[in-house]
Amino acid sequence: MEIVELKNIKKSFGDHVVLKDINFSVGKNEVVVIMGPSGSGKSTLLRCITFLEEPDGGKVKLGEFNLQAGLPLNKERKNMIRALRQNTGFVFQQFNLFSHRTALENVMEGPIVIKKMDRQKAKENAIELLSKVGLADKMDHYPAQLSGGQQQRVAIARALSMKPMVMLYDEPTSALDPELVREVLLVMKELAKEGMTMIVVTHERGFARDVADRVVFMEDGLVVEEGSPEKMFGSPVKERTREFLQDVGKEGR
Amino acid sequence: MDLSIIIDSLPVLLKATMVTVLLAVVSVIIALILGFFTALARISKIKVLKAIGSIYISIFRGTPLLVQIFVIYYGLPQIDIELSPITSGILALSLNAGAYLSESFRAAILAVDKGQMEAAVSMGMTYWQAMRRVILPQSIRIAIPTLSNTYIILIKDTSLVSVITVTELLQMSSLIIAKTFEPLTIYLLAAALYWVVITFFTALLDRLEKRTSKHVA
Ligand SMILES: Nc1ncnc2c1ncn2[C@@H]1O[C@H](COP(=O)(O)OP(=O)(O)OP(=O)(O)O)[C@@H](O)[C@H]1O
Ligand SMILES: [Mg+2]
Repeated sequence: MEIVELKNIKKSFGDHVVLKDINFSVGKNEVVVIMGPSGSGKSTLLRCITFLEEPDGGKVKLGEFNLQAGLPLNKERKNMIRALRQNTGFVFQQFNLFSHRTALENVMEGPIVIKKMDRQKAKENAIELLSKVGLADKMDHYPAQLSGGQQQRVAIARALSMKPMVMLYDEPTSALDPELVREVLLVMKELAKEGMTMIVVTHERGFARDVADRVVFMEDGLVVEEGSPEKMFGSPVKERTREFLQDVGKEGR
Repeated sequence: MDLSIIIDSLPVLLKATMVTVLLAVVSVIIALILGFFTALARISKIKVLKAIGSIYISIFRGTPLLVQIFVIYYGLPQIDIELSPITSGILALSLNAGAYLSESFRAAILAVDKGQMEAAVSMGMTYWQAMRRVILPQSIRIAIPTLSNTYIILIKDTSLVSVITVTELLQMSSLIIAKTFEPLTIYLLAAALYWVVITFFTALLDRLEKRTSKHVA
């Protein structure tokens, strides 16, 4: 069953066409890794899925939510977009934790403000999620008192607090010191094992190999090729895919 | 210098100091509200609001406070708006400080990292939920130093309303001097009282600043 379906997604900034015509879908429990050179439109694609950037055209489907892009923004559409966002967990390269709130409060914020959850219940859930990412002992720390890896794990817990249908990660480990990358990838791997549906933009080849069900290679605003990690890293059909994925491999961890 | 003059005038001057503090506190509260909403108007997408905000700021930052006081106290009665000296003073001080505060608020809101708003709306918050829960608390912390600064200036500016016969500290000092002919003693005493008030509020605001920035890198 498909959870996310993108149809003919197009996006330009001024006269710079960033996404030309993207079609792809992600099934329940599936982990899709998106790779591609800088500027190929990976972040823009993720952001279009939750309308952080509104696509110029196309359709986004998430579970039962169906949104046609490029229509005027009235109240009903705003509500639709918010419903869509409440069901996707977005993890940013720069973590973007709320810097005036503790780790615990960060994870409680969404359920309390958006879902109007009872404070005590939100707290219990948040503690559970922080334990899951291995940070229950740091719950009273503010973001500035945590390492990058810890911040990103709190950010993952915060995204999970809304019980999303799908998690979207935009280069979740690119801003981290090398020794902190592993702890974040481990948490993500654990989530994948539990059956969380995920779309991950990353350059981590090892993660893609171990965890991805499918690797999507993007270039110049198009999906050039997609397939299993074995196929994509082993014997991709397209010359460009081979060049790029092998380059990534050489830098690789 | 006669010590008895100090002792005799101190109680009256202290009372007048309370008027000064009252002027400053009431005006700053009104100015904070005014400045806050003007800042929101200035960052809103609604052109009319933006324009109103800009015009207000431009007028009150672009003219001397003394002129604003005169227009309100001496000018408005001509169109049948008669305000008491103290109301006129508070109105002028609030409108003036509000214009400055709105600029501090606006700068502080824009200084909050863009990722904070993105994280909030990406979870499904509305723009206003994100503003209220995420952006504004952080911008208030950022704005505190400049707010303190404006407030200290506002305390000093209260002395200007002495010209419309509000018996605040400076006006009271002049009244006492008219009777005692001791300008040096009395004005120095007034200066000392201003210093005490300003030092007190500076310390208070410094503490607030330290408390709110405790956990921030
Ligand atoms: N808000 C924006 N305004 C204008 N141009 C933008 C904007 N966002 C992205 N772009 C442009 O769109 C193109 C694709 O950007 P995007 O961030 O999606 O690429 P990416 O594949 O994520 O690259 P990277 O690996 O460097 O993160 C880039 O040329 C970028 O400059
Ligand atoms: Mg990117």
